Amino acid sequence: MTAGKPATLRRLRQEVARIEGVPTALETGDRVRPLGVAAIDAVLQGGLMPAALHEIAPQRMPDLGAACGFAAAMVALFAARPEPGRREVLWVQTDFAALESGRPYGPGYDLFGLPTRRLLLLSVPRPVDLLWAMEEALRSRALAAVIGELPQDGAIADLTATRRLTLAAREGDSLGLLLRHQPSPLTSSAETRWQVAAAPSRPDRFGGLGRTAFALSLTKNRRGPTGRWRVAWDHHECAFSTLSLGVVAAAVDRPDRTPLVRAG
Amino acid sequence: MWLRRLSTDRIERRSSVPGDAPLIVVEPVKGALRIAALNDAAAALGLTPGLSLADARARYAALQVAQAEPEADRALLAAVADWCDRYTPLVGVDAPDGLLLDITGCAHLFGGERAMARDMMLRLARQGLQARIGIAGTVGCASAVARYSRGGIVPSGGETAALAPLPPLALRIEPEIARLLAQTGLRCIADLTTRPRAPLAARYGQWLLRRLDQALGVEEESTAPRLPVPPYVAERRFPDPIGREDDVLGTVAQLAEELCLVMERRGEGARHIQTALFRADGKVYRIEAGAGQPLRDPQRIRRLFLERFAVVGDACDPGFGYDMIRLSTLVAERMEPVQSGLGAADAQAELAHLIDRLGARFGRQRVARLVMRDTHIPEHAVAMMPAHQAPPSPSWNDEQDSLAPIRPARMFATPERIDGVINEVPDGAPVRFTWRNASYHVAIAEGPERISPEWWRGESNPRPRDYFRIEVEEGFRAWIFRQDAVCRIKQIEDDGTERDILEPRTSWFLHGLMA
Repeated sequence: MTAGKPATLRRLRQEVARIEGVPTALETGDRVRPLGVAAIDAVLQGGLMPAALHEIAPQRMPDLGAACGFAAAMVALFAARPEPGRREVLWVQTDFAALESGRPYGPGYDLFGLPTRRLLLLSVPRPVDLLWAMEEALRSRALAAVIGELPQDGAIADLTATRRLTLAAREGDSLGLLLRHQPSPLTSSAETRWQVAAAPSRPDRFGGLGRTAFALSLTKNRRGPTGRWRVAWDHHECAFSTLSLGVVAAAVDRPDRTPLVRAG
Repeated sequence: MWLRRLSTDRIERRSSVPGDAPLIVVEPVKGALRIAALNDAAAALGLTPGLSLADARARYAALQVAQAEPEADRALLAAVADWCDRYTPLVGVDAPDGLLLDITGCAHLFGGERAMARDMMLRLARQGLQARIGIAGTVGCASAVARYSRGGIVPSGGETAALAPLPPLALRIEPEIARLLAQTGLRCIADLTTRPRAPLAARYGQWLLRRLDQALGVEEESTAPRLPVPPYVAERRFPDPIGREDDVLGTVAQLAEELCLVMERRGEGARHIQTALFRADGKVYRIEAGAGQPLRDPQRIRRLFLERFAVVGDACDPGFGYDMIRLSTLVAERMEPVQSGLGAADAQAELAHLIDRLGARFGRQRVARLVMRDTHIPEHAVAMMPAHQAPPSPSWNDEQDSLAPIRPARMFATPERIDGVINEVPDGAPVRFTWRNASYHVAIAEGPERISPEWWRGESNPRPRDYFRIEVEEGFRAWIFRQDAVCRIKQIEDDGTERDILEPRTSWFLHGLMA
């Protein structure tokens, strides 16, 4: 162990980053967007990279709602400080994906922090069209974010395709989110890869539904280690918060039949 | 322009039948097959339209016979009309076998009327079509000269002289009236013009005199062009046809530059643009692209057509190449000059262009914005409007203080039925249910939120729905609803009598996934 090793390592990392063309945290400066959860931001070296591609997949099919919610939350965080004129979000979906698991429903996103008036929907006939549309939209410098949704594991978005999307995102300085309906075993050039599952929420004080809770697992991170967290999203404040472990215990402790609430 | 032998030319173009073989086209008239059209060779044998097929066969056994296809004739006429677009934008159809071209102010581009007519005849002949062209100051006169004399150019003011020897039928009147005129000895138009008008009108109707006046230019007559006349047009002709897509796109870009220059001078921008590709053998392809906002940037116009070609390119077979390309603005709109390079406005213009490009590629209906509508039926509360015409919509702003959103993030097009529902209390939320073959335990449920059908809109399924927001033990959330229905069941008693039983049925559906 020599004293110069960390310095050497850092230099080498920077060299690799330069060759790969990945902007380092230094270059991007304050442009990374913190998620607001210290543990995650530490792993991400400050926050999510803008001008990059990120992948999201639900752990199992019913978690798709949560995965969409997480994607919307990410975009809402990014759109909170928009560049002038770039406020719109394009959501691209293949026809099959829409048929199989529904379309984004406006009011749901309005309530979640992503205003419907900023949402543009595009449905395309084939997955390959989706890649084209995403690339075009990322490159256009007109949008705050582009979300592409592929049915099943989205096998069309392989290493080459994601590489193209990454380059387009960097060139157009936009956030790209690739939403697969199943986790994919394929290698990808995305900046981060998330597997999202819905977590049991902490009920509100009347025993009703609490804040949306996510069980996140970061399965790929180009700039640091991976990890698993449980977070909650406050859609009134547009902010993530840690779902403490105590909550999980509380969920176990609660009666097996929660008293039903008549709220309506 | 009269296409003398439209039907037979159409058939001869397709087959290898030598043009000098007699060919007739027959159609059923009052139960008998009669000649509807015939070629020159058949006409030379003394056959005439209207003769029955049996008679014709009796005279000449070696006739080629084909069935009449009015649809195909019409299509061919339309195709020729499209092609004639190269001479003038004002092309009207004079059914069943004529075209009216308003060449006012166009003829000099082709070296005068005579040269234009010769060019037209030559090019049509090359396509296997025989045409006779009459050029005159009035529609009626031109049509009469083309159909009932040898064609040619009638000098201005020479209408009366040109029409004089022609039969009254040339005035485009009913054959019945022409027959009545012939019975009274009025066999040419000169007989009509020299006669007092009042008795003619009294006996044969105003229509005859009107047609006469129109032909002589006393009364105005306008043609109805098939296609709207574009406000801006730029075109290029090639002595040698081009076929490569790159060349075509390059030409479109050059034309776009010309077009934009003119539009800029008038302070307008294009909302709807069309590229017309004139193939050397007469086929015309028209490719259109729309823009959400007035457009005046040649590069953007080129990009739009790049996308359009990517989609429809395969349908356009260049064949032996295009000998003319025309770019026209079909719809223009006022466009205020904008200072570029000021950030926000640029991004907005960029967005409009992106929407146009995506629309050009996938169809403009597919790029949509969500527009809220004033209804509380969940699936109707949001409409997808094409982005280029959607108004800015207010958000769904139902103040609520629940910690969880009260509407789902995704909604299925048709609610999915869930089975195996067990609930604790009859009207309560489910405790267990099965969806897509997996069974779930409900951990938290909120509801019911009753949504009643809008009877004033005439809903087809007037049953209220009771919605519940649920969270299952694993954590995922769904928006489900219960719908009660009353089923009428016929029951047959032991003694054989039938009895109707009304039985309530409850169905559960999963309508959306919540975040």
